[in-house]
Amino acid sequence: MSAVAPKAPELESGSLIDPRTLMSIRNLELRARVVVEGFWNGLHRSPYHGFSVEFTEYRQYSPGDDPRYLDWRVFARSDRYFIKKFEDETNLRCYLLADGSRSMSYSSIGYTKAQYAATLAATLGYFLYLQGDAVGLLTFDESIREFLPARHRTGHLRHLMLALEKPVAGKATNLGAPLQRILEIVRKRSLLVLISDFLAPIERLEQNLLALAAAGHEIAVFQILDPAELSFNFENAIMFEDVESGRTLFVDPMAARKEYLERLEAHCGALRAVCERLGAAFHRLSTAQPLEIALFDFLRQRIQRSKGTRRFARQHSRGGASK
Amino acid sequence: MTFLAPLFLLGGLAVALPIVFHLIRRTTRERKVFSSVMFLGPSPPRLTRRSRLEHLLLLLLRCLVLCLLAVGFSRPLFKRPVINENTSSARRVILLVDKSASMRRANLWTDALDKTRALLTKTSAADEVALFTFDQQVQQVVGFEQWAARPSGERAGFVMHQLGNVSPGWSGTHLGNALTSAAEALGDTKGKTAMGAREIFLVSDMQQGSALDQLQGYEWPKGVKVNVVDLKAKSPNNASVQLLEEAEGETKPGIRVRVSSSADSKQEKYLIGWAQADSANFAAKPAEVYVPAGQSRVISMDPLTNGLSASRIVLKGDDEEFDNSVHVAAPEQGYEQVLYLGTDREDDPHQPFYFLKRAFQNTRREAVQVSMVGPDKPLTDEEVSKTALIVVSGKLSEQKAQAVQAAARNGTSVVLVLDQTNAVPNATGILGVESFKAEEATVKNYAMLTDIDFRHPLFAVFADPKFSDFTKVHFWKYRNFDAATVPGAHVLARFDNGDPAVAEVPLGKGRVYLFASGWQPEDSQLALSTKFVPLMCAMLESAGSGAPRVTQYFVGDTLPIPSALPVKLHNPEGADLTLAAGQTNFNATMSPGIYTVISEGGAQLARYAVNLAASESRTAPLPGDELERLGVPMGHPIASPDKTSRRELHLQNTELESRQKLWRWVLIGAVGALLFETWLAGRTARSVTVSS
Repeated sequence: MSAVAPKAPELESGSLIDPRTLMSIRNLELRARVVVEGFWNGLHRSPYHGFSVEFTEYRQYSPGDDPRYLDWRVFARSDRYFIKKFEDETNLRCYLLADGSRSMSYSSIGYTKAQYAATLAATLGYFLYLQGDAVGLLTFDESIREFLPARHRTGHLRHLMLALEKPVAGKATNLGAPLQRILEIVRKRSLLVLISDFLAPIERLEQNLLALAAAGHEIAVFQILDPAELSFNFENAIMFEDVESGRTLFVDPMAARKEYLERLEAHCGALRAVCERLGAAFHRLSTAQPLEIALFDFLRQRIQRSKGTRRFARQHSRGGASK
Repeated sequence: MTFLAPLFLLGGLAVALPIVFHLIRRTTRERKVFSSVMFLGPSPPRLTRRSRLEHLLLLLLRCLVLCLLAVGFSRPLFKRPVINENTSSARRVILLVDKSASMRRANLWTDALDKTRALLTKTSAADEVALFTFDQQVQQVVGFEQWAARPSGERAGFVMHQLGNVSPGWSGTHLGNALTSAAEALGDTKGKTAMGAREIFLVSDMQQGSALDQLQGYEWPKGVKVNVVDLKAKSPNNASVQLLEEAEGETKPGIRVRVSSSADSKQEKYLIGWAQADSANFAAKPAEVYVPAGQSRVISMDPLTNGLSASRIVLKGDDEEFDNSVHVAAPEQGYEQVLYLGTDREDDPHQPFYFLKRAFQNTRREAVQVSMVGPDKPLTDEEVSKTALIVVSGKLSEQKAQAVQAAARNGTSVVLVLDQTNAVPNATGILGVESFKAEEATVKNYAMLTDIDFRHPLFAVFADPKFSDFTKVHFWKYRNFDAATVPGAHVLARFDNGDPAVAEVPLGKGRVYLFASGWQPEDSQLALSTKFVPLMCAMLESAGSGAPRVTQYFVGDTLPIPSALPVKLHNPEGADLTLAAGQTNFNATMSPGIYTVISEGGAQLARYAVNLAASESRTAPLPGDELERLGVPMGHPIASPDKTSRRELHLQNTELESRQKLWRWVLIGAVGALLFETWLAGRTARSVTVSS
């Protein structure tokens, strides 16, 4: 029996859906479906074969293995005994943590960061739901707005979509409170997907994420930024008003662009560094980017992490056997 | 085009402001909502490049408004040729140049020449010009006829040549006299009708010491204007020294001088002392004197000791030398003789002579010798001729009575003290009145003087109510006489019962005083009262002696010549002038100094100190409106030709500007531009808002 190792899929750029077109679809679930279906279609190989969030492994049967895990289908095909190994006995639990603060309502290209973030969350949720994983949702601004526990049952996806479709109502961004809350609520090991623009001080973020990582949660961070925030390509000197605090500032973009970009990069770099230190996946997305890319990056990174985890596990198991 | 207030044009520099404001990027009110400003810092307003000047039309309009405002406030006017109304007719001008002593100050005379020359250059060929100089007197240097007789091109040079022969003298400034004389000379047109302006150009330092009394109430000829060409001394520091009259009762030998400082002087410390005969150096150690500006100090100068002699006191420490010395002629003691004709013993306090002798005290100015001529001693003509006062007490011989009468007729005062024995014969012999009678009056207790004629010189000294009380002078005895029997007798005082007490009888050049009572205590208390000495002195003065001696004369004064014979007069310049017999006065005192009258035999008859008039030292300038206050019709005050022309130009410009009032149109233009700018700015702002 030969092991069927899943290969990293490649995305055809020509098949990507323009986010502007995507956002013109009003129904969030439909948007998520379009993305996921499009994503599958865009892959060279079918993702139904050996592609899973929770990776499975085959190894040759050796005496002493539990015969319950023998894959009889493989045996029937290849006349060899293969043991089907699971990382976890249970299904994956995923919590989507979506930022609903007012800064997410900023838009320069026709749709807001919040809409993009909701579509991303819906896409991920739909994708995971299709895989049979339990998906939960937590929306927050300076406090927690909506919370749906991770479930996999009929109608849950619809609830999730409805919660995500609620308009942004919050003001400031407080990353500490939802993470603290998740830590309290979610006892089982889960995948936490944190979707926010992170346009807030991140001094306490590391501490909160560290607590979650220490609790065994896997963390993926999506930073959603508007193209205007990334390039700051304004021309006229104008009064800039902070959408959250209401603070106004006269800024001449010609003069301030360089400093802004430096400070933004420093902020994002600091956020990336925090994620790397905690082993969390970090993805920075522009709202102008197709969502398939986000999904693709997400899955690819998970694959790589799975590889790493297996390698890590193997090394540890061998080391343990030699002892 | 010119401007009345060109400094306001500097306000046009304000156009830099809108240019700068246009270069500064405008702080917009427009707001842009952004997700977070945490990465943004505030931007200062920054200057755009010149090529990025925006809204050029607005900028031009704003600059135009500011420029128009600046031009409007600077009051523009268009110059037009001004027609001088006076140029068409000839003027009649008198140049009146001050040559008083104060013009000797450092730069004044050269300034006066320059100013006169400048005035002459402004005269036209048709003008009539005369040149007068003045100090105490007015002198015509160039007359209208002399001016007219010269070709027009040579006139100014001729006048200046004539003025060049004149130099400042030592006399005082009789400005009033000079102005009235000049005005009369201008007014005298000799039958011609004056067509043009008549002007006096007064070239003077206008010092405070100028005598202006004559201008009071003077009626100026119509059409005559006075233009003052004011001369300013380089330095206001001037102090002067003046000789003062000897104080009454002064016994110490010495000279009192007053040091005065000019009102605008900056100096306070001066040195004063006797000068050497032939130089201005001090003969002895000078005294320091502090005199603040406008004040004076009186100093007593001690006579020189150690055998030195000097006749001049000099002051040093100020900038002007002309009034810093004063000449002193040592006062000579006068000598008067009083004869007493009687039989008294000199040391008998009951007799009149005892008191008469003690009534006259010798002073430094005058020595009075009282001598008694007894009945046995003859009275010589020579003795009588030297006598100023003869007091007759005893009975006179006929010969003596005639001598006294002759003396009285020659001007000697005679006091005839009546008593029972001598009254009739003396009165008859001296007065020549046969019917004169005198009787011893009957006095109850005492008699007092009343009805005193205080207007008479004899009693004038008592005219003040403080001294006019004679009630304490009691008379025990007197002789009653009938004044009506004496022709020309004038009763000067009566007793309280109406009897005459003192009567004056004029006799020839002199006079005879009849005293009804003696002053010795036996007759009255007069000799013991305070009235006696002044009364005796008044009688001596009535004889023409004892008059206050003149200490000094001033330049221009008349000196008395004390001899009827031909004499020589030695003046300060060193020249000897011969004066003819019978000349009683000398009035050519042109310079200060010592004038000595010498007889033909070489004896010094008199020595006079002639000094500069004190008023000449008051060199501070007169108040500007003083002449106007005295009714002098003033033209333009002419400080300097340039200044005058500038002032005239300014006045012309002011008048033109007030007629044209261009500033109104400029300001209307500015308001119009402002309105257009406002409209344009509003429109631009709207279009920007719409486009954004």
